[in-house]
Amino acid sequence: MDMIWIILILSAIGLVSGILIFIVNRALPKESESLKKAQKVEACLPGYNCGACGYPGCFAYAQAVAKDKSLITKNPCTTVIQNEKMRSELEEVLDIKIDASAMNKKAVVRCYGVTTPLGDYNGINTCKAANNLLGGFKRCPYGCLGLGDCAKVCPQDAIEVDKARNVAVIDPDKCTGCGLCVNECPKNIISLVPADATIVYRCSYEPVKNIPGRERCDEGCIHCRKCFKSCEYDAIIWNNEKNIPEFDFSKCTLCGECVEACPHNRLIKFSELSHKEQQKLEKEKVNS
Amino acid sequence: MNNLISIFILMAIVNNIVLAKFLGLCPFFGVSKKLSNALSMGLAVTLVMLIASISTTVIYNYLLVPFQVEFMRIVLYILVIASLVQMVELAIKRTNVALYNSLGIYLPLITTNCAVLGVALINSTENYTILQSTVSALGGGVGFSLVLIIMSGIREKLELSEAPESMEGLPIAFITAAMLALAFLGFRGMI
Repeated sequence: MDMIWIILILSAIGLVSGILIFIVNRALPKESESLKKAQKVEACLPGYNCGACGYPGCFAYAQAVAKDKSLITKNPCTTVIQNEKMRSELEEVLDIKIDASAMNKKAVVRCYGVTTPLGDYNGINTCKAANNLLGGFKRCPYGCLGLGDCAKVCPQDAIEVDKARNVAVIDPDKCTGCGLCVNECPKNIISLVPADATIVYRCSYEPVKNIPGRERCDEGCIHCRKCFKSCEYDAIIWNNEKNIPEFDFSKCTLCGECVEACPHNRLIKFSELSHKEQQKLEKEKVNS
Repeated sequence: MNNLISIFILMAIVNNIVLAKFLGLCPFFGVSKKLSNALSMGLAVTLVMLIASISTTVIYNYLLVPFQVEFMRIVLYILVIASLVQMVELAIKRTNVALYNSLGIYLPLITTNCAVLGVALINSTENYTILQSTVSALGGGVGFSLVLIIMSGIREKLELSEAPESMEGLPIAFITAAMLALAFLGFRGMI
């Protein structure tokens, strides 16, 4: 007799809960239109949840974009801008045109990193902590500390610390220009440049600020103004206040004259930046 | 009233679900890495525990006991809890998207959490009334959240402190959990 009751009770409760879920599903208001649109937008987003756009995750960004289309130009998701497939999908969903070339950027570390250390640093293993100790342990006050704060925040794993030179190197192919590392660097030596730029100025030293006990490294920019003079297109502007060259990438014709002119090799082409690429070339040389 | 307060303290501290009954250990280690995650998980578990205990007590007292089929309660409780969580998830998703986003991942996880089932089973073994089991579920949820918050606070500090290489990460967290359980053992005999 017991068995029959068990079967009856079990199936009754199963049936009742099934009916209840059905009723709840019907009684509740349908999912709103904006939420459906946000889900569509989210499908086109990368889904890294890196937070570079300033929203807590891709879904929050999708909700904001679904409400206000112009946000995609005001506060673009850099990963989408760089990825052609995602960009065309998003253009279709939102029914707008996205001018990618105007927003496309990548990050550059403006340091070569060969400066000698003042001593051994055994403290907390982050650039920020090291920077709080008298501005870091390197002789150059503007030098990359090479402890990899930027590498830790990079959602693309595009940053690697070159152990030999003790400097962070950003892979221009992997970088999506989200700008997270720019805010992370305590030395402020990472900057965003247009993605089609081909030259890198790899020194941040400002000679006007004379800090006792600190000096420029042997490989640093000697501020000879040769690049400034060599440029025929006014793309290099000399900042007289700080005594450093500044670059206007909108005028740059990518001719490479300044790279040739630089006597100290501080201006280099992007293609020479990737450390891995250099290693590959060296290997090929050895093989041949 | 006194009885209710003693049930609450018994469930929250003395017979703490995680550290004295050793239930729900999976979220205890899985979700206790960050304080904010621990808070949402604690909130979600408390909510589900409360609803599940009330409904299972009703079923136990008015269905299983009269028909003398108490031994079927585990099967029934799992069925009831799973469908309840489905309903709660549906309701939250449709009415409050912000809350759904913060709880979203954890709600389905709780469906088969043994802490929720454990409290429901304790309620029926102790023959609690509906009001008593409500209070006991609330105590269980508060106790679970409390331990999760304490553990996540300690683990956030542990991340920064130096441990021997072989102890880094989970091993040191296990040792910490053992010490926490020892500390909670001190509450035995309070009630």
